[in-house]
Amino acid sequence: MIGVHDLAKQYHIGDHVVHALRGVTMSVAPGEFVTIVGPSGSGKSTFMHILGCLDRPTTGRYVLNGRDVSTLPVDELARVRNETIGFVFQGFNLLARTSAVENVELPLLYTRKGVVKADERRDRAMAALEAVGLTDRAEHHPNQLSGGQQQRVAIARALVTNPSLLLADEPTGNLDSATSHEVMQIFGELRSKHGITIVVITHERDIAAYGTRTVDFRDGLIVSDLPTQPFDSVLPRQAGQPIAQGGRS
Amino acid sequence: MKIARPKFLRHPMVDVAIKALGRNRLQTSLTMLGMTVGVATVLAMMAVGAGAQRAIEQQVRAAGLNQITIRAGNWRPKITDSDEAIAHQGDARDSLRHPLDRVKDDVVKAAFHPEDDPMEKHDHPTARQRLGDLEAGLGSAATMTFSDAEAIRKVSGVQYVAGGIHENVRVHAGDSPTAQGKRWFTRMHGTDVMMPSIKRAWTFTSGRFFSEKEQTKAEQVIVLGQIVVDRLFGAGATPVGQQVTVWNQPFTVIGVVTSATWVVQPTAGDDQFDAVYMPYTTTQRLLNLSKLNDITVTATSSGDVSRLSRDITKLLRARHGIGDNDPDDFTIITQATKALTTGGLPPSVARAVAANVAELEKVTLEQLALTMERASRTMTWLLAAVAAVSLLVGGIGIMNITLLSVTERTKEIGLHMAVGARGKDVMRQFLLEAVVISAAGGFLGIILGVIASFGIARSLQWATVVSPLSVLLAFGVATAVGVFFGWYPAKRAARLDPIVALRRE
Repeated sequence: MIGVHDLAKQYHIGDHVVHALRGVTMSVAPGEFVTIVGPSGSGKSTFMHILGCLDRPTTGRYVLNGRDVSTLPVDELARVRNETIGFVFQGFNLLARTSAVENVELPLLYTRKGVVKADERRDRAMAALEAVGLTDRAEHHPNQLSGGQQQRVAIARALVTNPSLLLADEPTGNLDSATSHEVMQIFGELRSKHGITIVVITHERDIAAYGTRTVDFRDGLIVSDLPTQPFDSVLPRQAGQPIAQGGRS
Repeated sequence: MKIARPKFLRHPMVDVAIKALGRNRLQTSLTMLGMTVGVATVLAMMAVGAGAQRAIEQQVRAAGLNQITIRAGNWRPKITDSDEAIAHQGDARDSLRHPLDRVKDDVVKAAFHPEDDPMEKHDHPTARQRLGDLEAGLGSAATMTFSDAEAIRKVSGVQYVAGGIHENVRVHAGDSPTAQGKRWFTRMHGTDVMMPSIKRAWTFTSGRFFSEKEQTKAEQVIVLGQIVVDRLFGAGATPVGQQVTVWNQPFTVIGVVTSATWVVQPTAGDDQFDAVYMPYTTTQRLLNLSKLNDITVTATSSGDVSRLSRDITKLLRARHGIGDNDPDDFTIITQATKALTTGGLPPSVARAVAANVAELEKVTLEQLALTMERASRTMTWLLAAVAAVSLLVGGIGIMNITLLSVTERTKEIGLHMAVGARGKDVMRQFLLEAVVISAAGGFLGIILGVIASFGIARSLQWATVVSPLSVLLAFGVATAVGVFFGWYPAKRAARLDPIVALRRE
């Protein structure tokens, strides 16, 4: 699914060179649920942006579904984002004063075959909303939805193009604990029911426990990469322990 | 908002653009207002310009590019020595001068008046002194008749012929001279049914001109000029069906005539609208006359006027049995000769020009029309320039709001890009929003502009012409302004880095 080899990214801020990533090598198999943890500035967001084809590495290779995407032109990257990748953000990023279903329809405006017809758009958006259990909120605007509901709309939007990879950058960062677990359960279901590969960045150890594998970033490098026990057999609190230890080693 | 849209506007991105604009209604509508005012101004100014141009064209045509008037009698200007010298340089033009050496002796004798004897001393002003620089020749000859008019009608190239008798009359409101009613001293034209066709700048505010039948039967019907109506019945009155008295005879008013163009306004003392019209047959019957004062002829083609006046001269000379060396007993007046003699030129120069320039009618009037057209076109462009400035201001407004919108919606742009929008998709989106604003503003502007044009026409009495072309042009320009001023902000939006855009708050 994902193969990155010796990925590095440098930013130039004035004369200063920031090494965000210093050679990351890892691979993700289809159907895996990877959680990425690490302190601020550890390079995990940069890594996520490169995985999401929003950014290109300075050096190194990124192979997505058997295709080297690290050197694709920007328009091709946009296509990959549209067809292969679904994005979920910490701040939901829903369009204000726009109904949930219309928010979900958004990626369908940019498919390679042109704009999807209105009827089909509506059907597919409703199907995606159904997958996150929000059919009854389709016509609500974001300000009429709770944070958890908004994030579920955002997940539906990420799903609407049937991507094989779902990337979430701190999806629970703005949610309370109970809602966070709801959202993470949705991710788990998507993986088990639809076989979608999921990569989630998180600060919270209990959230990380939902994954099948936890990757710890520090200073632009992977410091640990350990399998997590399946979340359905483990309580989140218990799952947090080995990661914390692994992170500190 | 459900409006049926043409197919090219049914693209889903248009919906997206409209929705995006709908999220900030106040900004959108204010920007649209700028565009609306711009387009409305352009349209109204163009309408005023085109109206002026058409009015001038109408006026030139109505003034009679193709009109020839044959007046009974022949008055010739007094020839002084220096004038004589100029006039002799060119080919003789009978209508303008008759050198005495070509006039038969007996005619000179017949025309000779004892007063003309330069050696004679008089205790009263002589005819020469009384008449100024005009000299009475056969000026008072009453030799033109209805059959002359009929004969002219058969000349090839003739469009309309109307014989006329003209008198000064006192018109009295009411069916008898003793009735209570106002009186007005005015000009009476006994004329032909063809007259409205010749006078193209006429319009009937009420009623009609007299008919062929009324002319044949010499009925006592009368058409009043607007000024006469104002004086006899008061402004705004519609006296059709009422009676007026002329020469102690009752006449039925059948119509009111006024000017069709704003260039000519009816004024007291003018010859057209401070006047009354009746069939010339009625005039002949009541006054017991058989003569005509003049015959008005129009040529099918205005370039034909010179040839036609030569043919008519020949015809009338033959009909009146005038010998080769005798002067005409009629005067042919065309617009060219009229323009020359009343156009502020010294008479000597005018005469020299008339005598020397062939096809004078064509040259002068075409040039006159051209000059006027050029003047009105200049005015149109000037008005268009003013309007263009307001369009420019509207365009800058669009650029402003689109830039603002790009800045405000940076995060949204980032999101669009994250879900697959390419730079050109984003660019198209913002361009579309700019064009939707300008096109919608333009559409409202067209409505407003058309209303304004009619308003101007009604309230200021200016002629305005809203042509489909100008509407199309205004709409096109509005859309083009949207594209032009939306381009830069849209380009800026397209160049955004998705990550940077997404991080923006």
